[in-house]
Amino acid sequence: MPAATKESALASAGKRKRQENGDKSKKRRKSGGDEGVDLKTQLKQLESEILESRKHYNNIATLLELAQKNNEDNSTAIAASETLCRVFVRLLAMGNLVKKREASEKDATVTEWLRERLADFRDVLLRMFDNEKLALPALLLAMSLLKVEAQHLDDRDEPVFPRYFFTKVIYSIVQSPVEQLREEFAEKFIDEYDDIRFYTFEAIADFLKDRSEDLDEALRTIIFNLLLNIDDVPSSNDDLDTFYIEPPSSKKKHPVRSLSQHKRQAQDAWLALMQLGLSKDQRKKILGVMSTSIAPWFTKPELLMDFLTDCYNAGGSISLLALSGVFYLIQERNLDYPEFYTKLYSLLDADMLHSKHRSRFLRLLDTFLGSSHLPAVMVASFIKKLARLALNAPPSAIVAIVPWFYNLFKKHPLTTFMMHRVPRTEEEKAKIEEEGVEDVFLAWERDPMETRAIESCLWEVVQLQGHWHPNVATIAKIISEQFTKQAYNVEDFLDHSYGSLFEAEMGKEVKKPPVVEFMIPKRVFTKVTEEEEKQGLKDSLVAGLWDFGTA
Amino acid sequence: MAGSQLKRLKASLKDQGIIGPQKSKKQKRQNAQDAKASNEKRIQRHEALASIREQFNPFQFKTNARGPKFEVTTNKPVSSREAMGISGRPGLTKAKGEERRRETLLVEMQRRNKVGGLIDRRFGEDDPNMSLEDKMIERYTREQQRSHKKHSAFDLEDDEEMGGLTHMGKPLFDDDDAPKYLKDDFEEDVGSGDESDGSQTDRRALKRQRLEEALEAMGEQGEGQPERKKTKKEVYDEIIAKSKLHKELRQEAKEEDNELRAEIDEAMRDLRPLLFDRIKPPTKDDKPSLVIAGKDQATLDREYDIQVKRMASDKRAAPTEKTKTEEEQAAEGANRLKKLEEDRLKRMRGEKVSDDEQESEDEKKQGGDDDFDAMDVEEEDEFGLGQGIAGKAKKYRPTATELGFDDEDDFLIDDDLVASGSELEFDSDDEGEESDEDDESGSGSGSGSEEEDSDDDEFTKGLLTESEAKQGIFRLPTNNTKGSDENGVPYTFPCPQSHDELLEVFKGIDVKQLPVATQRIRALYHPKLASDNKERLGNFAQALVRHVNYLGNQYQPTWAAALEGLTRHIHSLAKSFPIEVAKGYRAIIQEMEQSRPLALTVGDLITLTGVGTTFPTSDHFHQVVTPAMIVIARYLGQKIPQSLSDYATGTFLSILALQYQTFSKRYVPEVMNFTLNTLCALSPSPKAFTPKNTTGFFPLHDPPVGTRLPKTLPPDAPPARKLTFSDCLPSSQPPTLQAKLSLLTTTTALLTSASTLWSQTPAFTETFSPALQILSSSYPAPLGKFTSPLQQHLTRLLQISRLSRRPLELHHHRPLAIRTYIPKFEDSFDPNKHYDPDRERAELAKLKAEHKRERKGALRELRKDNAFMARENLRVKKEKDAAYEKKYKRLVAEIQGTEGQAANAYEREKAARRKKR
Repeated sequence: MPAATKESALASAGKRKRQENGDKSKKRRKSGGDEGVDLKTQLKQLESEILESRKHYNNIATLLELAQKNNEDNSTAIAASETLCRVFVRLLAMGNLVKKREASEKDATVTEWLRERLADFRDVLLRMFDNEKLALPALLLAMSLLKVEAQHLDDRDEPVFPRYFFTKVIYSIVQSPVEQLREEFAEKFIDEYDDIRFYTFEAIADFLKDRSEDLDEALRTIIFNLLLNIDDVPSSNDDLDTFYIEPPSSKKKHPVRSLSQHKRQAQDAWLALMQLGLSKDQRKKILGVMSTSIAPWFTKPELLMDFLTDCYNAGGSISLLALSGVFYLIQERNLDYPEFYTKLYSLLDADMLHSKHRSRFLRLLDTFLGSSHLPAVMVASFIKKLARLALNAPPSAIVAIVPWFYNLFKKHPLTTFMMHRVPRTEEEKAKIEEEGVEDVFLAWERDPMETRAIESCLWEVVQLQGHWHPNVATIAKIISEQFTKQAYNVEDFLDHSYGSLFEAEMGKEVKKPPVVEFMIPKRVFTKVTEEEEKQGLKDSLVAGLWDFGTA
Repeated sequence: MAGSQLKRLKASLKDQGIIGPQKSKKQKRQNAQDAKASNEKRIQRHEALASIREQFNPFQFKTNARGPKFEVTTNKPVSSREAMGISGRPGLTKAKGEERRRETLLVEMQRRNKVGGLIDRRFGEDDPNMSLEDKMIERYTREQQRSHKKHSAFDLEDDEEMGGLTHMGKPLFDDDDAPKYLKDDFEEDVGSGDESDGSQTDRRALKRQRLEEALEAMGEQGEGQPERKKTKKEVYDEIIAKSKLHKELRQEAKEEDNELRAEIDEAMRDLRPLLFDRIKPPTKDDKPSLVIAGKDQATLDREYDIQVKRMASDKRAAPTEKTKTEEEQAAEGANRLKKLEEDRLKRMRGEKVSDDEQESEDEKKQGGDDDFDAMDVEEEDEFGLGQGIAGKAKKYRPTATELGFDDEDDFLIDDDLVASGSELEFDSDDEGEESDEDDESGSGSGSGSEEEDSDDDEFTKGLLTESEAKQGIFRLPTNNTKGSDENGVPYTFPCPQSHDELLEVFKGIDVKQLPVATQRIRALYHPKLASDNKERLGNFAQALVRHVNYLGNQYQPTWAAALEGLTRHIHSLAKSFPIEVAKGYRAIIQEMEQSRPLALTVGDLITLTGVGTTFPTSDHFHQVVTPAMIVIARYLGQKIPQSLSDYATGTFLSILALQYQTFSKRYVPEVMNFTLNTLCALSPSPKAFTPKNTTGFFPLHDPPVGTRLPKTLPPDAPPARKLTFSDCLPSSQPPTLQAKLSLLTTTTALLTSASTLWSQTPAFTETFSPALQILSSSYPAPLGKFTSPLQQHLTRLLQISRLSRRPLELHHHRPLAIRTYIPKFEDSFDPNKHYDPDRERAELAKLKAEHKRERKGALRELRKDNAFMARENLRVKKEKDAAYEKKYKRLVAEIQGTEGQAANAYEREKAARRKKR
């Protein structure tokens, strides 16, 4: 009996409410001026009514309706969803949504109904993610709802991470057109909370598996960027200590607390992404951060081996980039790369010194050739090949490699024959006098052990001692001076460019009067007349080769 | 040396001769008689006894039981103490310490908890070392010193007689030789030198001393003794009166002396000739003239001094410059140019041109500039020289070459300075002649040789030489006040200070006439005309630099001469305003680099050309040229040409880069990269180039569409021409065949000059073989007429380079000496000392040791102090107790005595009573 009355009361209340509602909405439609105030009071009233008694639960449906009106009026939707959120947080906290075994049938119906409304509200929120203006508040609401749900949706003591809802959130985030949303999410949640990161990896992996068929390029890029943003790899289990939803403390071995589980999730997500195939740009990006933020996530970096080897073999700048990943594997996982140095040598091509990734490559090269146990023949090949390349290189590259040569010469004294080779016999001397010397270096030989570079000389560097840029010329001269310094710090010379060289020159204020040519040339643009030619005057090169026009 | 202690003592006493067999009476007497000897003997005896005492006290020395720690061989004399290993004398130190404590600590202890008291500050009162006599002497000297400090002893105005208040009113030295005594010691010494006097003074000193002693004794006895006959006042009066009398006497004597001196001074005039002018006849000296001469002497001296000073500050009379013969002038010019050339080479090698030299030169120039009168100096100036040679350049050229200076250009250029000026002005001159009579009338072109005549026409003409400018200037205001010449170029301008102003000023003037306008501005605002013209012209120069860039951006083929003129003007301005012009150029270069590094405009190209002519491009480093070169290289290295215009721009920059390096022959990799890419782009073969088939390692760019030449030339193919700036402008039209052919010919010509320029470089083969490879492999025969000359040229040079290549021998350095460390020997090594090479550590260790020692010492001292204090306290207490005991006993005894007496009395009384009874 009481239940029946209650129900009827509820129904009547619902009717009245609806009526009121209708009135209100009519009113609102009539007077647009005090709409905001009206709305607020209305929402407040609805909220308080719900919290007052169960009779007014139907207000929730009204609120849901209001919240769905995204298109016309954002403020309504936001305010309504905020109210809803508050309502549900209260209800959840009161335990009204928990299914209880001993509850009466009617109570169960109410709970069931409420749960359905909650699901509706979630959907409403997730849909808001697609709206540029609503997305950010919706995200915050969704996340706070998530937190409360974790604690109160079940009648367990320990909070349980609502995976289902979270997966949905991630799906919506990924599919949302709002870029800002993802940034916000990455910044405020992924970077902050270890468990969020954990479940995000999981959700992304799931997503990629679900949608592997119809994943278009844009989505891939989005996921790629999202994963790329997650870059600070925790170093031990103890680092995992900030949680959005505190995992059950009873279980010590909860996956959220384990670093290896984290890594596995990340690895799965990345692998799922990589298996879908990558564009060239994405590949470059992946390779760029491979050794710093991707490979450390992998529990089994060996899985990256094929990918890296493929990239390394691809040639061009991808090879340069893949090198650091390969090196990571060699270093960390003891990867044995067959003919590594041959491959490395093959990377020294015409574009290498002009590449954007030059300094990155040279750094690695410095590491690879750092061992003093390498055969001098091979080191000589590297030196000679780079010297050859330097003949056509920009000054910033020359500046970087010459001090490096110096270090190599110091480390491998056998190679110094390339700078100083005195003919030993008289016959040899006579032969050289007569026929000159051919450069025996085989520039096109692939194997650095077979190039005969060590029998050659570094004429190229000597030519660069007459480089137009004063500093480059000076640096090139260190090769022919006495080797008194122990070693140069290559790092000091790596990051230069035309721009930085220019800045260095222009940074100095002109204080001392510059030297001025003491003769004012007779002709600058115009040609020398015949009469002047008789006097021995000649056209300058420019005037000779260029037609400046005549008066 | 066995035996008991006593026996040994006896033996040693006997050894020292202190005890011995008894002496006879006679001997004793003898000994007593020579007292001196006995005295000595006594001292000796004393010493001997002390040593024996030391020897027999085993606690006198602290010795190391095991002997010295190290057996040390040193060259230092070993003291007996060290030999014995004695490390201290505990007894002695203890006694000393005790003594010191008694002096300080004990006093303090006794004074503790006591307030006030008297401190005896009398000299030597507590000093037991001073005898009474010493004390008195000390006190006397102190007192004397004190009074001496206050007043001068010879102050006549001072009424108070020093030391006059003591000694019972009697003057201290009022005895027979008082006046003498009162005289100065100085006078005494001077006055008498014999012995008797000396003894007298001695005696006197003694007497004084005695008196003093008496005085002191009296003072100590106290003043209040009543046996005085006179009262104090009387005594004082007496003393004062007496001293005043003495003073008067002395004054009188002094006055007398003065008078006498004056007299002698008067007579001096007569005496002087006798003394000094013995040679001169006395008749010559007539007094009045002498006086006048004396007066004159002063003024004359002063005048003389002034004259000397003036002469010293006067310019040294320099011999006038010899008029030089033409040969001499030529030689001088050649030398100067040679020096400039040497400087250039030095700068090219990156060495420092000795600054002072240059500075002094600058100064000289500066001085010359400022000096208005020194015309002749002016003529020795740079341009004056050129003028001198101008007419006869041909004649003297061989001399210059003989001097080993074969850059014939120089002379022509100097010649050019005048000639070109006239040329530039020629049309305007001719036209100007008609309109402007008084100015142009006399000028003509022939009268240039005569300086006076040439004033006017040179002003209008050149103004490129400073002397000319200066001469011309003064006529300026009267000559050309207003109006403009035929070409509409006004005669007067405001001096533009910025580019905007310059645009305003030059508005309406044909570009071709700009050099004329510039010249007029330079004349109008010549630095010698007004003090602020220097600044103005500097700004003008900057604006002009910008204007050339501005004009270049709207380049017209007909402007070549005008731009050339402007560039040359800038160059000429740069000589006087190097910093301003450099700043102007640098600003433009900065703009290029920042806003359009890969899209240079024609104006930029012209500006860069201007940089190349204005500044020495051969320098190792140059504030303007190096940035300009970076801009060029950046374009060549990083620009990926998208159209033929880009290729044209790049080609121009390549030419320019080569021109920059003409003298210094530096290698520019970017030029090679660009030209080789151009060749690849133009080649008709469609196959893609790879590093392998070009045999070069330059980065290949994919050529834009439509740059390739056709494989065969159509018969009506237009002839190749030279590239122009219009080729550098981007156009929407597809490139014409003619333009492509022109690009090819220019590139080949460029490569030809590049290969010639760099033919001596060691890696010539590697640098240029790609070019040959490209030409031979991908240019078909129909294009051969364009490429074959270069091919042949390259083949020849490559052959030569192969033959002349030698293995590198870069390290024929003098071998570096291996670093040696000579062991350092200490001359006076002491194992007890630490020889730590690390100075800081050694010092620290030393400080630590000292600290430790001090600390221990202080602790020990404190302990001893405590012990001393306890001892003293105990002693005091004992004394006190003893006194108490004594008193107590005394009292007890007294009481007992009294008691006894009383008992006795009682007994007696009792007995008496008994008796009575």
